[in-house]
Amino acid sequence: MAGTPMLEIKNLGKRFPARAGREPPPWIIQDMSFEVAAGELLTIVGPSGAGKSTLLNIIAQIETASAGEIVFDGEHIASPEQKALHPGLNRRIGYVTQDDNLLPWRTTIDNVLFPLEVQGTLDDAARARAQELIGAVGLAGFERYYPHELSGGMRKRAALIRTLVYDPPMILMDEPFAAVDAQTRTQLQEDLLRLWSLKRKTIIFVTHDITEAIALGDRALVLTQRPARIAAEHPIPIPRPRQVKDIFTMPGFAAIYAGIRADVQ
Amino acid sequence: MRWRVWFDRLLVLLILLAAWQGGSLWLGNYWLSAPWSVATRFFAALFNGEMVFHAGYTISEALAGSVIGGVPAVLLPFLLRRQPIVVAILDPFMVGGYGAPKLAFAPLFILWFGIGIESKIALVAAVVFFIVYFSTLSGVRALEPKLVQMAQVIGASERQVGRHIVFPGAVPAIFAGFRIAVPYAIGGAVIAELISSNRGLGYLVQTGAMNFDTTQVFVAILAATIIVHAFIAVIDLGERFLLRWRPRGAVLIADHGT
Amino acid sequence: MSSAEITSELSESHAIPRQWIVTAGRIALAVALLAAWEWGARAFGPLFFAPPLATAQRIVEMAGNGKLLTDTIATLRVSVLGFVIGCACGVSLPFLLRLSPRAAEAIEPFIMASMGIPKYALTPWLILWFGIGDAPKAIVVTLFVFYIVFITVFAGVRGVDQRLINMARIVGASERTIARKVIWISLLPFFFTGLKVALPRAVSAAIVGEFLVAVEGIGFSIERARQLSDTTGVFAGIVVAVTLVLIINAVVNALERRAMRWRPTDRDMQI
Ligand SMILES: Nc1ncnc2c1ncn2[C@@H]1O[C@H](COP(=O)(O)OP(=O)(O)OP(=O)(O)O)[C@@H](O)[C@H]1O
Ligand SMILES: [Mg+2]
Repeated sequence: MAGTPMLEIKNLGKRFPARAGREPPPWIIQDMSFEVAAGELLTIVGPSGAGKSTLLNIIAQIETASAGEIVFDGEHIASPEQKALHPGLNRRIGYVTQDDNLLPWRTTIDNVLFPLEVQGTLDDAARARAQELIGAVGLAGFERYYPHELSGGMRKRAALIRTLVYDPPMILMDEPFAAVDAQTRTQLQEDLLRLWSLKRKTIIFVTHDITEAIALGDRALVLTQRPARIAAEHPIPIPRPRQVKDIFTMPGFAAIYAGIRADVQ
Repeated sequence: MRWRVWFDRLLVLLILLAAWQGGSLWLGNYWLSAPWSVATRFFAALFNGEMVFHAGYTISEALAGSVIGGVPAVLLPFLLRRQPIVVAILDPFMVGGYGAPKLAFAPLFILWFGIGIESKIALVAAVVFFIVYFSTLSGVRALEPKLVQMAQVIGASERQVGRHIVFPGAVPAIFAGFRIAVPYAIGGAVIAELISSNRGLGYLVQTGAMNFDTTQVFVAILAATIIVHAFIAVIDLGERFLLRWRPRGAVLIADHGT
Repeated sequence: MSSAEITSELSESHAIPRQWIVTAGRIALAVALLAAWEWGARAFGPLFFAPPLATAQRIVEMAGNGKLLTDTIATLRVSVLGFVIGCACGVSLPFLLRLSPRAAEAIEPFIMASMGIPKYALTPWLILWFGIGDAPKAIVVTLFVFYIVFITVFAGVRGVDQRLINMARIVGASERTIARKVIWISLLPFFFTGLKVALPRAVSAAIVGEFLVAVEGIGFSIERARQLSDTTGVFAGIVVAVTLVLIINAVVNALERRAMRWRPTDRDMQI
């Protein structure tokens, strides 16, 4: 993983604006620094409310940073002095948010095609690609369903492929498989690893689930609770390609698991 | 940051007043009465009792009509709470009454009750009734069945359920209904006065226009506007007092009748 | 047995008889109302109450001699003119205000305050300005429609889920695309609520405007009949007015159901 990092977070801090009549707001994220190499799959674990989503929001540029800076591909993209936000950084950062954020008035297929439609790149090839992705995550047959007619896990999958379909070089994922049953989750994790091995995207993957963090990641960061800092960094030297369902049996898994487990506490 | 908002608003107010005054200077007081003339005439009318006389008349119509139309409209949904069949039978008639243009009945009411206060009260009552009925009905219907069951489990009688569970739960909806109905009540009274009357704010507007006295027209409209907002403020105060237990939330009011 | 008990028994055991009771009750009530009308005509005399039959005859007569059509067209002409202008302004202003939150906050209280102005009361002044043609009525209708549509659309624009907007930005949608494909569609339910209130209101406002100034139209016919003490004319006109507004109501409801197919259930918004 040599060369310049794809993403550099330097001394990042975040606090939300004070509300009238309250004491100064607490730091949600404080003095956080880490790097993500191009093509790396970084997983982040941390307790609920730690600030994981907030971190991704800042990277995705829908939230401002209060301190520190972010460099993406050699370009300064965030700092406290910054005037305007550029959500998604001109489609170079995709974001699978914690809530699915599907447009309730569009069917599955139309939601998946939405990014292409707004970018004016909707053609037959794009439709075919979307259809392929829909099949890959097991949504075939549900193309004409509205979000309220899908299960929570199906909506998550639709949201995931809505980002994959326009192929951004970097993707942020906020617990994308949290609402999915164990079997489907394993399937989706394997699909994700397969897609990633083909395209070598840079991925930041946030999760609660330590096993998932190990199964997917090249490296796992553990965040502290309020303010969020990096408590520990765990390289995951388990060779690829990995079999997600057998990840427990891989040499070294138990030790990494125990290490992360201890740091999360 | 708050002061900036207020500064902006003051600025907008000044711009509006300046535009109004400028327009009046340009077009002449005859076409567009100047804000200054309206203000002086308004206070003159207020102090010589003319305003109190006419506005009082309009307010009496609106109040009497609101009571006559509003009280049955509040009681009916409670009385029919356990009679879903009756509610179902009434429904298309109520929906029709709600949708029907009540103000179109103004000439009929004038025909029936004359040009005095009675015809205006009847019109206001008809207008208020349907609005408050549907609002109260939605409040009674939105009731949490669990709360009723809880009360029944602890041994409350049917009356006690109505008094302690259903009514308090429906109070916000009742207030919302009256809040929507207020501009209708005032507006209905004014329009009936415009059509045919010998006093009231609508009468002031009508005679003002007939004598080409634009200032009088504006003064009467200003007074009616103030009354509408004062009524709404009183209702909001009452609601806030009665609903101290409730978290505050904005009510969307799309419907207003002035 | 009290009727409450009957109710629960019926609704639990036989679903169909309950519907029959309701239908029968509705028919009975409609007949009773007609009977009361007829009775009123006999008790108070034709000067106060036109009998139902005479009213119906008059309407048929109006339909026959073309007056019904010309009146309706005159009223609808004013309503539609005011409705279109009021709608256009009521929809575009919230989108304009979205461009500058600061301006929105400064202007908003004035819009809300001006909402309390009794718009019909402006008619006599508007007649001074524009004469007795369509213009004064159309302006009053415009004002009515504008405020209704503005309030609902403004609330809708504010209530749009910010997360959906963020999502659209991230996948590369321009602000114009967002306004069209996210904000506009998600406020459609609000817009329809506004339309549902505004369209019948536009017609009512046109009719009431015609009480005050007109040479033709449904409202004009009602008011002239009153001045001529032609009670049958008043009744016939009111029946026409009510029917027209109720038909428009029904049409708007049907349209709304079609446009809102994507919504989970037929939740009616409280207005
Ligand atoms: N808009 C906001 N204003 C004020 N505080 C906020 C806001 N958004 C988030 N917070 C606070 O920031 C903290 C972190 O929130 P965040 O959503 O980032 O947590 P998380 O790590 O993603 O949690 P989870 O695992 O439950 O999703 C929380 O304490 C929350 O209260
Ligand atoms: Mg989160």
